[in-house]
Order: sequence, then C-alpha cells, then structure tokens
Amino acid sequence: MENSVEIIQVAAFLGAGIAVSVSSIAAGIGEGYVAGEAVKAITKQPESRDSVVRSMFIGQAVDETGGIFSLVIALLLLFGGFAVPGGGWQKAAALLASGIAVGLGAVGPVFGAGYAGGQACKSIGRMPKHSNDILGNMLIGQALAQTSSIFALVVSLLLLYTVPNQAADATVGMMILKSVSLLGAGLSIGLGTLGPGSGIGIVAGKASEMMGKFPKERKEIMRTMFLGAAVSESTAIYSLVVSFLLLFIS
Amino acid sequence: MEMAEAIARAAALLGAGICMGMGALGPGVGEGFVAGKACEGIAKSPENASLITRTMLVGQAVSESTGIYSLVIALLLIFST
Repeated sequence: MENSVEIIQVAAFLGAGIAVSVSSIAAGIGEGYVAGEAVKAITKQPESRDSVVRSMFIGQAVDETGGIFSLVIALLLLFGGFAVPGGGWQKAAALLASGIAVGLGAVGPVFGAGYAGGQACKSIGRMPKHSNDILGNMLIGQALAQTSSIFALVVSLLLLYTVPNQAADATVGMMILKSVSLLGAGLSIGLGTLGPGSGIGIVAGKASEMMGKFPKERKEIMRTMFLGAAVSESTAIYSLVVSFLLLFIS
Repeated sequence: MEMAEAIARAAALLGAGICMGMGALGPGVGEGFVAGKACEGIAKSPENASLITRTMLVGQAVSESTGIYSLVIALLLIFST
C-alpha cells in the first residue's frame, strides 16, 4: 500500500521514545531504592559510611545498564539510517517492536537489580567489616538479574538488522501478518523479562542480607542464589524462544 | 477470503507473543521469592541445607507449571492455527 518513508520514520520515533522512557522508569526507581537504603544504613551506623557509599555507587552503576541498552537502541533508531523507502509496514513494525523489546525488557531486570543493590547496602551498613564479600555477592546477583535484559537487547538488535525490506509483491494480508508477528516478538521478550528480572533480584537481595547476618555461610548462600536464579531464569528463556520463532518463521 | 485469514493468523501470532510475555511474569517472581527464602533458611541453619534445597526445587517446579502452560499455548498458537 503505502511505500513512503514517513511510516517507517514514525515507527522509529515512537520506538525510540518508548525504549528510553519505559526503561528509565525502572532505572530511576531502582537506583533511588539503592540510595534510600544506603542513607538509612548510614543513619544507623555512621562509621560504615565509606563502605556503604562505595557500594551504593557501584550498585547504582550496575543498575544503569538496562537503561544504557535502551539509550543505544534509541540512538540507533534515530540515527542509524533505517528509514529507507521500500521498507513498508514490515520495517516500521520491526523498528517499533525493537523499541518495545528493549524498553519494556529493561523494567524487570532493573527493578530486580535495584532491590538487590539496596539490600546489599543495608547489609554492609550492618556489617562493614564483611563489605567485600557482600559487595561481591551484590555484583554477581545484579549481573544475574540483568541477563534477561541482555536477551531483550539481542532480540532488539535482531529486529533492527535482520528484518528484510518488504517484498514488492506482498499482499495486504501478508503485510499485516508479518508486521503483527514482529510486534508479537517484541512484546514476548519485553513482557517476559518482568518476572525473572524481579525474581532474581529478590533472591540476590535476600542472599546479600543473609551474607551480612551469617558471613560464615558464604559459600552455601551463594550456591543457593545461583541455583534459584537459574531456575527462575527459565521462563525468560521460553519468552526468548517464542520471540525467535515469531521473528524467523513466516 | 485471504484478508480475513491473514488477520486471524496475525492475531494468533500477536497473541502468542503476549501470552508468553505475560506468562513469564508470575513464575519468575514466585521462584525468585522461594529462592530468597531458601537462602535465608540455609544461612540460619546450614545443617539442613540439602533438605531446604530440595524443598526449594520442588516448590519452584510446581510454580513453573503455569509458565509451561503459557509456553504450550504460545507454541500451539504459532504452529497449529
């Protein structure tokens, strides 16, 4: 039908806006939670100030990565030269789905990593002499929580770079079919990281809290955290599989 | 009619995406919560570590069941409509 560039540009702009705005909701709240727990911990024990502030900065920085992925995709959408004539509805849907995938896909992991960082700061405040162990656990836990946002980034990049231009003889039916299935691919991984991201964040937070209270049980706690996080990640993998199916079958 | 058929198939694919997307939410949070409590339990009484870990895995497997239902429905929507 319409083979103009404007539709693709509209989709790219919408996708870029959704990507950055939705992921920054989670980043703002998550990093605020880390800082809030840090302030509470310093109020209770002012001598732990140095360790707590250090872990607060590190925790907030790691929490930011989901937002940075979204910023990268948004800049690619705006300046990456995707708006070529002949792309059609298919390309437009791919660009919009790309923004949705990485924007929504950052929410769960960033909330989870924020909760984990906050609990770690609280724990370090209570026990500053074990701060290295707790900090290590916090970093591992936050990284585990963020893995599903990497899935979202992968789907987003695939949507940007591997969707071909619309075939010149495509019927209206085929156009609708392909466009909507690309949107479905974006939504599948975008929504699918909400659960595992937050769940793994809860595990990591509890593990850091317990590591402060019972530092001798360090190995057992970390092993249980890995095991629980791996099982919780499974539904994110299902969502990734469904996203790939919707992307690549016609 | 070709158009209506295409719209129906498109709706099925979109539904597959939304189905798996939202279906991952519950089991993810629930299993994470169980694992968190397991960490807490093992820290407080490490001599029960294997019992706690076993219970955690069983609880997580049950919690996974609705996630698997979502996966099955999503695959059915993609492949047999």
